[in-house]
Amino acid sequence: MFTDAVRAIARKELSDKLKSRWVIVIGTGFAAFTLVISYFGGATSGVAGFREMDATIASLTSLVTYFIPILALTLGGGIIADEHDRGTLDIFLAAPITPAEFIAGKFLGLALALSIALAAGLGVSGIVLMIHSGMKAVLSYGLFMLNSAMLGFIFLSVSFLVSVLFRERAKVIAFTVFLWLFFSVLYDLGLIGLLIVTKGSIGNGVFSAFLTLNPVDVYRVLNFLSIGELKVFLGLVSVELPVYMKAPALWAVSLAWMLLPLVLSYRFFKKRYLA
Amino acid sequence: MIELIDITKKFGEILAVDSVSLKIREGEMLGLVGPNGSGKSTLLRMLLGISRPTSGRLLVKNEQLTERGWKELRRSIGYMPERVSFYDNLTGRETYSLFARVKGGDPRSATEILKKVGLENAADRKVGGYSKGMRQRLNLAQALSNDPTLLVLDEPSSGLDPVGTREFYGIIDDIRTRKKLTVILSSHILAEIEDRIDRVAVMKNGSLKAMGSLEELYTSLNLPLKITLSVNGTGAAIAEVLRTAGAVDVVYKNDRIDADIPRMDKIKILSALMERKEGVKDLSIREPNLEEVFFGVH
Repeated sequence: MFTDAVRAIARKELSDKLKSRWVIVIGTGFAAFTLVISYFGGATSGVAGFREMDATIASLTSLVTYFIPILALTLGGGIIADEHDRGTLDIFLAAPITPAEFIAGKFLGLALALSIALAAGLGVSGIVLMIHSGMKAVLSYGLFMLNSAMLGFIFLSVSFLVSVLFRERAKVIAFTVFLWLFFSVLYDLGLIGLLIVTKGSIGNGVFSAFLTLNPVDVYRVLNFLSIGELKVFLGLVSVELPVYMKAPALWAVSLAWMLLPLVLSYRFFKKRYLA
Repeated sequence: MIELIDITKKFGEILAVDSVSLKIREGEMLGLVGPNGSGKSTLLRMLLGISRPTSGRLLVKNEQLTERGWKELRRSIGYMPERVSFYDNLTGRETYSLFARVKGGDPRSATEILKKVGLENAADRKVGGYSKGMRQRLNLAQALSNDPTLLVLDEPSSGLDPVGTREFYGIIDDIRTRKKLTVILSSHILAEIEDRIDRVAVMKNGSLKAMGSLEELYTSLNLPLKITLSVNGTGAAIAEVLRTAGAVDVVYKNDRIDADIPRMDKIKILSALMERKEGVKDLSIREPNLEEVFFGVH
């Protein structure tokens, strides 16, 4: 799968994002945000300063659930339409590569660019926090970074599907904003509404299943599992998760969330551009 | 050899290519001409395996290709799409290397090929600063990056000035003198390619209207020769002589007469002119050019 062509396409995407300073701008901005939140995250309780790692992760989780999905969606949303507009798509289609190699190369390159930006953005805070709190929470912060990267990959994958489905940039942007709003805000409002309407009678099993249908919630739950006691910060205090909802299962769900849009992108790409 | 047998392509209700059959011979330069929307690009896309025919067969060396077969064939195809702007942040060399790697070519050939297309001094500049003509040269460079034996050029001179166009075809001619290269060249600027192609396929409204060498087309279509006379005051009388002798579409204006001469009447018409030679200052007769052949095909 990691053919020369895949590597070449991935390298081009990464190089493009590095040269356009996308990675630097996003990484720096993200680092600034995370540092501010790490320092002032407890300000509502009248305390400013770096807190325990778990508390900081809880605060950062809220930032990430808004920031990373929109970042990833805009990163990949126009990827196919751009190639089409530039006229380069036909060169790729006429090259001795499969559509799967083309999509894989694009995805890998952008995923790497996103990972570098995230590593820079979250890493700076991580280092500051470790200097302040010591190495004891390094594992949970590491897991938090991995979960965040996975969330980014999921929305990058969704953005590829958007890119294949819509050729016009205006439609891509509109649908991207809608998806972000849906997954980051509206879905949870809907779930809360469902709980209210049903007076909580739908049961934890069904509720948990609904959570897995939203990758943002899967991400929240993954972080909740890693920090345990501070679930109140995640707004999940009233929910008892079923026993099967452990990190490996949620990682599997996340992986499925990442792969399914990519597979669909491949199918629609073939149908649209190779018919 | 590539053979298209009764190829049809529909997009919904729109018939883009209608029962086209043609053979592309190894080593030839085939011109594919027709106005915009005549189905040229769709036909090229099917020849590249990008688009699948709705019906008909496409054979390469007498075999219908599988998906794997297409992938293999594309290793030897260089394709230059009509309009490519490339990536503003990459240099010419990086762009070349990208496509060379994707197409199984050697990225180390960048210096040589970019020099060949006249971009040696701009190879390490970002493509964002390239002119349209330079981007078109880069487009040719990427098409050559896998050392192809089949070169498919879609409106290649678009964006090039006359000097650039001449240089462009010079590069193609140079390659063809050194190796056996089949070239399929699509254009709607007919006069530009008629001196360069071995055969021409004329498309109109998705159909193949004519196919063959220019000589074959001229003969089979029996198109009239073009005569132009420079006359000195007796033009109206000479125009009448031409008409009487069988010339058609005679136009007399500003001491100049343009007319079409049916091939079978050319001796008769020239003889009639000889009798009025005192009124003729100059005369030229020529074959109709490809554009006239093209618009003569109905």
